[in-house]
Amino acid sequence: MSTPMLEIRNLRVQVEEKEILKGVDLVVPRGEVHAIMGRNGSGKSTLSYAIAGRDGYEITDGDVLLDGVSITEMSPDERAAAGLFLAFQYPIEIPGVATMTFLKAAMNAQRKARGEEELTTPQFMKEVRSASENLSVNREILKRSLNVGFSGGEKKRAEVLQMALLQPKMCVMDETDSGLDIDALKVVSEGVNKMRDGGRSMLVITHYQRLLEYIVPDRVHVFSDGRIVKSGGKELALELESKGYSSFDKVAGSVADGAAA
Amino acid sequence: MNIAIDDKVTSAEKTLLAQLAGREKALADSMLREYGLPSRKVEAYHYTDLKALLGQVPPLAGPDLPDSIQRTGMAGPDFAGSLKITIANGMVASLPEPAGGVSASEVSGSALGERKDVLVAMNRALVDRGLDIKISGKTGQILHLDWQLQGDAVHVATSVGLELEEGARAVVVETINGSDQAHLANLGSRARLGAGAELTHVIIDVSSKKVTRLHTVEYEIGRDAQLHNLMVNSGAGLSRTQVFSRFAGEGANGDFSGLNLVGNDQHCDITLDTAHGVANTTSTQKFKAVVRDRARAVFQGMIRVEPVAQKTDARMMVQGLMLSEEAQVLNKPELEIFADDVQCGHGSTCGELDRDSLFYLMSRGIRREEASAMLIRAFVEEVLDSVSDEQLHGELSAIVQAWLREGGDGVPAGKDAGK
Ligand SMILES: Nc1ncnc2c1ncn2[C@@H]1O[C@H](COP(=O)(O)OP(=O)(O)OP(=O)(O)O)[C@@H](O)[C@H]1O
Ligand SMILES: [Mg+2]
Repeated sequence: MSTPMLEIRNLRVQVEEKEILKGVDLVVPRGEVHAIMGRNGSGKSTLSYAIAGRDGYEITDGDVLLDGVSITEMSPDERAAAGLFLAFQYPIEIPGVATMTFLKAAMNAQRKARGEEELTTPQFMKEVRSASENLSVNREILKRSLNVGFSGGEKKRAEVLQMALLQPKMCVMDETDSGLDIDALKVVSEGVNKMRDGGRSMLVITHYQRLLEYIVPDRVHVFSDGRIVKSGGKELALELESKGYSSFDKVAGSVADGAAA
Repeated sequence: MNIAIDDKVTSAEKTLLAQLAGREKALADSMLREYGLPSRKVEAYHYTDLKALLGQVPPLAGPDLPDSIQRTGMAGPDFAGSLKITIANGMVASLPEPAGGVSASEVSGSALGERKDVLVAMNRALVDRGLDIKISGKTGQILHLDWQLQGDAVHVATSVGLELEEGARAVVVETINGSDQAHLANLGSRARLGAGAELTHVIIDVSSKKVTRLHTVEYEIGRDAQLHNLMVNSGAGLSRTQVFSRFAGEGANGDFSGLNLVGNDQHCDITLDTAHGVANTTSTQKFKAVVRDRARAVFQGMIRVEPVAQKTDARMMVQGLMLSEEAQVLNKPELEIFADDVQCGHGSTCGELDRDSLFYLMSRGIRREEASAMLIRAFVEEVLDSVSDEQLHGELSAIVQAWLREGGDGVPAGKDAGK
């Protein structure tokens, strides 16, 4: 069996001394797309931040392996250079940092970390042009400061644009669909699907089954109270849509009760 | 001003008194004897206790430059195509012929007016010959006053008086630089703007960290005149820039801005006293400081609105960015308003680099140092933004860049970041 792209083992994470992730186990094999669904506040974003290495997300137990290598001791930039990408649920606005300057700095930083040549300006411009055409990103917004004055949907598209430019091997997308209109959802999904090349893996966090009609997952996981309580095929998303989360809470509840006993 | 004098006379005070002996203007001598150098008990020097901070005072610069000084190849910044006057240790290398509405000459004594301030009094006592520059018409060329502190450590007192005639327009850049020695510079700059004149006045200190710079700037802004002031400091271990401005004619406008970029044990003080003395004048003050290591950046801004100065619009904004736990940003905005129909406001903020922004940039593969530098540049760019002259803007960005490089990995890691 080949090494999974992402392997999360019994991950426990505290934020401000409060335990949010309570033993997450998850394996995303190479080339597969997995979806995570779960109600508000169940810890999905916390999982994505812990994977990306955000400050203040203290791992108290467990491990995260990217392509067989533990990344928990790496800084966020090292994780990115190792091939990880997180599309933020709430992309950060950074006034005074030009979007194009940022894109070029990010692409070149990763190339440098991998010992590759830096991009020339014409090469860079060409890549940005073609990626923004693919994702129908209005290039006017790229002239602004990073994410500043972008609409909600534009921010999400810009995240996927970054992902397309950086070509990571593991993509974590945190509610990339929320805020996108119906047409944009289609365009962005097509863009994401183009990146499914058999080698690249994805973890898609969403509240909506609709997204999973466009980006069809290999597996669906239900997240509740800081852990995965059920996993299944893509039909699990449909089941969730009709039954809601409460039927799964019982499962989670019994696990929690068991742990407490 | 009744200040209990510290009975202990410091060695700096002793040397200064000796240097003042035999000088004509007695005020400096009597102020030093009576009060000593200003200590923290003097409100205007609350954060910059010169009595405690000023160590050795080097000998006064002689009338001749030491032979060892090469007048060529002195350190930048440089502005191609500018009208440049180099003044080394107070000596003017050569004066340009009057041309393009600019006429420069040497006059006896300091351009600074009398004021009960010991730095001003010392400047007036010690400056034998000052520069005097008259500007008429609109000059496109940058006038560059290149103050050099050269050779072994010296105490230099200099002054420049700028006179903009009615309707004149000019860009004047003063730079302070020189050898890596513990010079003491007491600089005076005075500008008088005639009706409708427009002056962009930039002061850049990139001198050695061993230098002490005491700098007094005076403005008198006439009717409908426009002043754009910008002060950028990355040099001098200890500096005090005090700016006294007077809005003397209706419709006068002054923008004051500054950037303190400090590290190590630097102490950099900018103190502004802005007096609106007639109706219908406006002023804005925008100051930023980036502080790393154990350095201190001080900003004191006083806006005075006199009873006759109705319809004054005065805004002050001060922001500090601290890059280390021991860094200090000390801000004291003050308003003294005696007119009722005015718009005045001030705000001051102080913080660290935004962690979320830093994480976002790093999550894209950008190293911490580079991400920090991007955020610092974004922070300071708000001040440099106002500089429309491209060459000047480029020089200033280069100074910021050099300062960032100087810090190297001195841009600190977050406490538990990127373990
Ligand atoms: N800094 C913090 N301090 C304390 N609690 C926090 C902090 N950040 C998140 N939490 C808590 O952790 C829990 C999980 O939050 P998280 O953002 O991971 O949820 P989520 O599953 O992504 O929710 P949503 O679907 O609304 O995006 C929430 O109860 C939240 O309030
Ligand atoms: Mg979330």
